[in-house]
Amino acid sequence: MNTDKSAPKRQRRKGRQRNSEAATASLVAILNHVRLSEATTRHELERVSEYGRAIIADRLAILSELVLVSESETGVATGGRAPRLVQFTKDRARLVVVTLDQSAIGVGLADLQGKLIMEHHEAINIANQTLTADRVCTLINWLMTRQPKIPNLWGISISVPGPVLTDPNIPFLLETPNFLPNWDNSGFVEALMQRFKVPVWMHSNVETMTMGELNGGAGIGQQTMLFIKVGQRIGAGLVSNGKPYHGAAGAVGLIGQLPVTSDDTTGSLDAMAGASMIKAKGIKAAQSGESAYLAELLEREKNITAVEVCQAAQMGDSVSTEIVVQSGRLIGGVVATLANMLNPQLIVFAGSIAQTNDILLASIRETVYGASHPLVTRDLRILRSQMGNSAALLGAAGIAVSALFEPVFLKDWILLGTPTQHPDFVYGLETLNSITRQADDEAQAPPSS
Amino acid sequence: MTIFGLGPHGERASPPERVTLLPQDITAARAKKLRVAIVMHTLESDWARHVVQGIIGTLGECGAIVIDVVDCNFSSKAQIDALDRLRGDNPDAIISLPVNNTAVTNAHLAVSGAGIKLVLIDNAPTGMLPGKDYVSLVSADNFGLGEIAAELLSAGLPQGASAGMLAYDSDFFATNEREIAFSRWMEINRPDVAVKTARFSTIDSAGNEAVQLISDHSEILGLFVVWDTPCVKVISAVSKRNPDMPITTVDLGQEMTESLAKGVPVIGIAGQRPFQQGEAVAHTTITALLDRPCPDWIALPGLTVSRSNVVESYQAIWRKAVSRHILVQLKVLSNK
Repeated sequence: MNTDKSAPKRQRRKGRQRNSEAATASLVAILNHVRLSEATTRHELERVSEYGRAIIADRLAILSELVLVSESETGVATGGRAPRLVQFTKDRARLVVVTLDQSAIGVGLADLQGKLIMEHHEAINIANQTLTADRVCTLINWLMTRQPKIPNLWGISISVPGPVLTDPNIPFLLETPNFLPNWDNSGFVEALMQRFKVPVWMHSNVETMTMGELNGGAGIGQQTMLFIKVGQRIGAGLVSNGKPYHGAAGAVGLIGQLPVTSDDTTGSLDAMAGASMIKAKGIKAAQSGESAYLAELLEREKNITAVEVCQAAQMGDSVSTEIVVQSGRLIGGVVATLANMLNPQLIVFAGSIAQTNDILLASIRETVYGASHPLVTRDLRILRSQMGNSAALLGAAGIAVSALFEPVFLKDWILLGTPTQHPDFVYGLETLNSITRQADDEAQAPPSS
Repeated sequence: MTIFGLGPHGERASPPERVTLLPQDITAARAKKLRVAIVMHTLESDWARHVVQGIIGTLGECGAIVIDVVDCNFSSKAQIDALDRLRGDNPDAIISLPVNNTAVTNAHLAVSGAGIKLVLIDNAPTGMLPGKDYVSLVSADNFGLGEIAAELLSAGLPQGASAGMLAYDSDFFATNEREIAFSRWMEINRPDVAVKTARFSTIDSAGNEAVQLISDHSEILGLFVVWDTPCVKVISAVSKRNPDMPITTVDLGQEMTESLAKGVPVIGIAGQRPFQQGEAVAHTTITALLDRPCPDWIALPGLTVSRSNVVESYQAIWRKAVSRHILVQLKVLSNK
C-alpha cells in the first residue's frame, strides 16, 4: 500500500560533491524551520538557521528533490524582485488518526502539518476488540480510497481510553502496550504495522484531546489549561507553559481514581459521577416510575444510556436534572482542588456527558467557583469543548507529526525520503513479520508424536 | 427516536424537540424583525425544495424575512460568491448547505467571523466547530439511512451475489455516512454479499459509472445509489441492459415514488423528512438568534419506505396525496 511513488530517485548533480551524511544535521534543522513556519524565504532561513547562502541553497535543493519542500510560489516584494517562498510539502503524505472511546470509534486523515483533512465517527462497543480492530482497518482502507492522489501513508496515531505506559525515548511502537484490560495481547499495533507498513503511535484520549484542544480548540494560545474528560471514566490533562504536561510515566490526570463521598457513600469519582452512575440512576428512576419521561423512554427504547439521561435533563426532566447536577457537584469538587493547586487560565470539559449537557457544566461551574480562592477564579474561564472527538483525532495527528519530525528520528530517514524506510522501522517490521511467519509455521506443523 | 449515526465530530444526536419554540419565543423573534438568507447546494431536487419550504414557512411564522434563496448548483465557486455577497447584505443569519468539505470552508468561516449566525444543513466542513464557527448542524440520520437502504436491498439479493454502490466522489458528510453504513450493514448482516463501489463526480455521470460498474462486475445483482437525483440517471442507464435489477436509494422523490409503486427497479427507499428538517433548521436559527444555546448536532431519523407503505410515506414526506395513477398501480383504487 505504501508505494511512495511521488519521491523521485535522486540524481547527483554536476559540481562539488555533496557529503550527504554531514549535511543531515543542517537538512533536519532547515526542514523543521520551514515546517514550523519559522522561515518562509531563503533570506529568512539564513537568518534563523545561521547557515550560509550556499548551504541553504544546497540543502533546499536536496529537500526539493525529496519533495519535502517546494519553492514554486513567490512572496510579496519589499523592494526589488519578489522572493521565492519556501514551503513545507504538507501533502507529501498522509497520516491516519484513530480514536477509540468506550462506545465509539473515530478515524481521520491528516496532512503532515497535523491538520485534519477528513474524519468519520461511529458507535461501537470496543469491549469486542476483534470486531473493533477489524472495523478500524476497514475504515482506514476506506479513508485511503478517498485520497487516491496522495497514496502515501506515513504513520498511524491512535488515541485510546486509559493511560498508555510506554518508554518516552522510543520513536514508535513495536508492540501493543497495555491500555485496556480486554485489549491485553490483542496485537492491535502489530497488526496495523504489518498491514499498512507504517510506524504506529498510541496515547491516552485525555492526552490527545488535551493536545487537540490546545492546537485547534479553546486552548489555542493558552499557557495554563486544565482539560477534563467526562465519560465512563473521568480524566484530566494539563497544559503548562503552553505545552502538555506528561508526568513521570505518562500517567498524568487519573482523577477518576480519587475518592468522593455522596449521600454517605464513598467511592471513586469514576464510579460516583461518571457515565455508568448517571446511566444506573436513570434506569432506576425509569423503572420506579419516579421519572415519567425516562420510564417512557425505557419502554420505547428498551435501554437508557447516560447521554439520554443528560438529554432528558436538558429537556426539563427534573429527576434527570438532579442526577446530572449531583454528578456535576462531585466532579466540580475535585476540579476545584486542581484549580486551587494549579491556577489555570482555562478549564475545558469534554466527553459525551459534558458535551450533551449544559446543566452538568453549570453545576460544575457553581461548585468550582464556590470552592476556589478568589484569585484563582478571578480570570478563570470554564468552557465546554466544541471539538467533540475531533480533539482526539487532531491531538493524535499533532503527536504523530512531532514524532516524525523529531530531530533524532528525522535524521535517520530524511535522506531516504520517507519514515517508512527508517532503518529501525524496517528492522522492526522484518522482525515482526519473521515472528508471524514462525508462529504460522508452528501452527501448521503436524503435532509431534 | 433512534439515531444510529454520530455527528461530524462524534457528537451524539439531539432530537429536534430540543429547539422547540414556545409562543413567547415566537413573540420575541417577531419583535426582532429578523432577516435570514438561505444558500442551498441545489434547488433542483424534491428534497431540497421541501427543506426550503419547511424553513421559509417556519421563519414566516416567527416574523423573520427570507432575503434570498440561492441555488449553488453544486458549485463551490457559486457558493463562495453567494456567501460573500450575502455577507454584504448583513443578514442576522445565513442557513447554508456546504457543497463540499474544503473549498468552501473559508467562505463559511467569514460568515461567522462577521458575526452572522451560521446554521448548517447536512454537511460540516472538516475543521469547522459547532458553537464557534457555526451554530448547529441539522441533518437526517444519514448513517441510519445507509443501513435502511442496505436492509431493503438485501431482500432482493440472492445468496452470494454482489451489490453495486454508486457513491458520491465529493467529500460530503451525509453521503459518506450513507456509504459507510451501507457497506457496514452488508458486512455484518450479509457477509455473503460483496460490495463493489463506483463514484460519480456529477449527477449526469452517475448513469455511465453504474453501467461501467456492472460491466466490470457481472456478479452485481443489485444497486444502491446514495441519493435519488443521480438514481434517476442510473435507472435510465441501467434499464436498457437490465430493467429488473433491484435498486435502493435515499429520498422519496417523484420518480422514485413512481418506480416503487410499479415494483421495479426501485424496491425500497430510505426516506428523509425534508419538511420537518426544514422546520428544525428554522427553529435552530431562531433559537440561536434569541441567544439561547443550541445542540451541536440535531438529527432526524429516517423512514423505511417499501411498496407496502409508499402511499402513507409519500403523504408524510410530501404533505399531499399521491396521484390517482399510483393508487391504481398499487391497487388501492380500481382503474375505472
